[in-house]
Amino acid sequence: MGTAIAGLGLYKKTPRTSFGVFASVLKARLIIISRYKGSLIMELFMPIVFAALPIMLGVSLASGGTPVAENWKISSGTADFRAFMLIGACTFSVVSLMTWLVGFWVRREMVTGTLESVWVTPAKKYLVIGGVTGYALIRAFTAFIISFLIGSLIFGVNPFQGNILIAVLFIMIGLLPLWGISFMFGALILKVKEANSLINMLQWVLAFFMGVYFPVTVLPGFLRYVALSFPPTWMTNGVRASLLEVGYFFEHWYIDLAIIFVFAAVVPLLGYMVFMRTEKRLKKNQGMGLY
Amino acid sequence: MPRAIIKVQNMSKTFISKERKKFLRPEKREIQALKSVDLDIYDGEIFGLLGPNGAGKTTLIKCLTTLLIPTEGTAWVNGFNLQKEENLVRASLGCMLMGERGLYWKLTGRENLEYFGALYHVPKEKRKERISYLTDLLNLQEFLDRTVETYSSGQKMIMAFAKSLVNDAPILFLDEPTVTMDVHAARELRRIVKELNREGHTIVYTTHQMFEADELCQRVAIIDRGEIIALGTPTQLKKSLKIQDVVNLEGVIPKGVAEKVKAIPGVKDAVIKDVKAGKSTLGVMCDNSRKLLPKIMEVLLENEVQIEYIQPQDITLEDVFIAKTGRALSVDTSEVPEEEKGGAGGRV
Ligand SMILES: Nc1ncnc2c1ncn2[C@@H]1O[C@H](COP(=O)(O)OP(=O)(O)O)[C@@H](O)[C@H]1O
Ligand SMILES: [Mg+2]
Repeated sequence: MGTAIAGLGLYKKTPRTSFGVFASVLKARLIIISRYKGSLIMELFMPIVFAALPIMLGVSLASGGTPVAENWKISSGTADFRAFMLIGACTFSVVSLMTWLVGFWVRREMVTGTLESVWVTPAKKYLVIGGVTGYALIRAFTAFIISFLIGSLIFGVNPFQGNILIAVLFIMIGLLPLWGISFMFGALILKVKEANSLINMLQWVLAFFMGVYFPVTVLPGFLRYVALSFPPTWMTNGVRASLLEVGYFFEHWYIDLAIIFVFAAVVPLLGYMVFMRTEKRLKKNQGMGLY
Repeated sequence: MPRAIIKVQNMSKTFISKERKKFLRPEKREIQALKSVDLDIYDGEIFGLLGPNGAGKTTLIKCLTTLLIPTEGTAWVNGFNLQKEENLVRASLGCMLMGERGLYWKLTGRENLEYFGALYHVPKEKRKERISYLTDLLNLQEFLDRTVETYSSGQKMIMAFAKSLVNDAPILFLDEPTVTMDVHAARELRRIVKELNREGHTIVYTTHQMFEADELCQRVAIIDRGEIIALGTPTQLKKSLKIQDVVNLEGVIPKGVAEKVKAIPGVKDAVIKDVKAGKSTLGVMCDNSRKLLPKIMEVLLENEVQIEYIQPQDITLEDVFIAKTGRALSVDTSEVPEEEKGGAGGRV
């Protein structure tokens, strides 16, 4: 059963135009965010506020005469508990940025109405999603570095201790599994349309298990394993271990990094599959529009 | 024999929606938005889908543009199968589906066109050419480089229209494109649609306004409650009515009067078409209005109707719709209970 064929207009699928999809999505995202300067600046200060809470707590406890730092060193491995908190807060802000930027991206475009415009184009979804992710990675990575530097200045932390190169490696590779987690978030948000409070809560659960304010090794048995199954936990600890003396989970940095690598290879694929399945189910039911 | 460029086969779409009437216990409700639609759209025509709000026009278009997966049935678009060759179907289409909402408001018009051009795999050099061509065609110069949020609603719609043309696809889907435009802009859009059609584009145009379908389309499908109830050229459709006259009476017309007028022998149908500021328009279809008018007036006077304006009128596509459904096009489908369906006007 065929119909007449009338060509495909200006559509021309080449590696160059395929790359063009990715590049255009990335570029459009960067242009749009550059038009929201206020929120960008807020974003940089969020982790500093997060870090300020436990740091102030620590300072006030210490003022009673007990050497908090000593105790801290026993449980965490480092006496520099300001740096510990700052790193935790910065990695958490990266996690929440990634889940927010990628996970809520679909939902946001659904609400504004642009999602269907994108979905009717012949652009492959992974190229579009790749563009959005590329943008999110750039933004999250930049935010981490800048917040960390500003925070160091404010809290009197030496940002250039330990092995910075390895720390950067941990952040960069750690971001990849986060990408996959974001897609699972995205799928969840597509399903449960009014998911804001649920997602907010999930972010805090994530914050708890990845050890923003404490080393996950202090968690009791079962909870510790839950925590260790979260890729962001490995990223946080990796950064801390390379900059401070908290120790890697498996003694050497390359073993920890290898485990993140495995996460990085598996989780995004899994996330993408979950996401595309949800999308298909949606198209079989209500569709991608806001109804 | 014209060749079909879109072939729809036995297409059905059922939505299952949760109704939250009872607290914590949502009831499931099925809405059959499309019921076994079969349809051929010919290469090179302007094809109109005419029907009231809620008839299923958008659902049909969303199925044909791969945004929804039909519950049953399939279609071929530009030679490609809807389910098996999704991306080539998409590459064959230009779409204006949700009007201005399809644009990024924080990007300029040009940035939007660049972006969507890229998503349609239009090579970069071609994109530039195309944008400058569209700028001339649609007079975009004045606002092309401003962010869309600063546009008037007419400018947003024109930009959304430009977006649907950015890949110069052989088939264009326009879903109620003029709905928020002023009269002048709407006329201009229809002029361009005709011009694009002359260049060889096939255009599928949905509307709930009969005059648009009449003026623009070579063939029209009248759709109601997910079914195509009539199909043909506007002339054929109007001729199929087999009545001579329609008289429109405008004034203050209480409810229930239409039924009484309908009971007059020789009157085929009487329906309130339009209500504006307390004034209604009663459309009366009959074989010979000159003969029947005195009788109609008598019934109206008995019921204390104030008539301000009487106008005999040529048969329109709306009259075709009324004859088939007993309802006016302006009535939202969801406001009419399902039982009434087919109850009034006889089906041909
Ligand atoms: N996503 C959806 N979920 C549930 N019902 C829907 C959805 N989209 C449309 N409908 C219903 O399907 C019917 C047809 O709607 P639609 O195709 O939008 O009509 P039209 O475009 O002709 O106004 C209506 O009864 C509408 O309420
Ligand atoms: Mg519609």
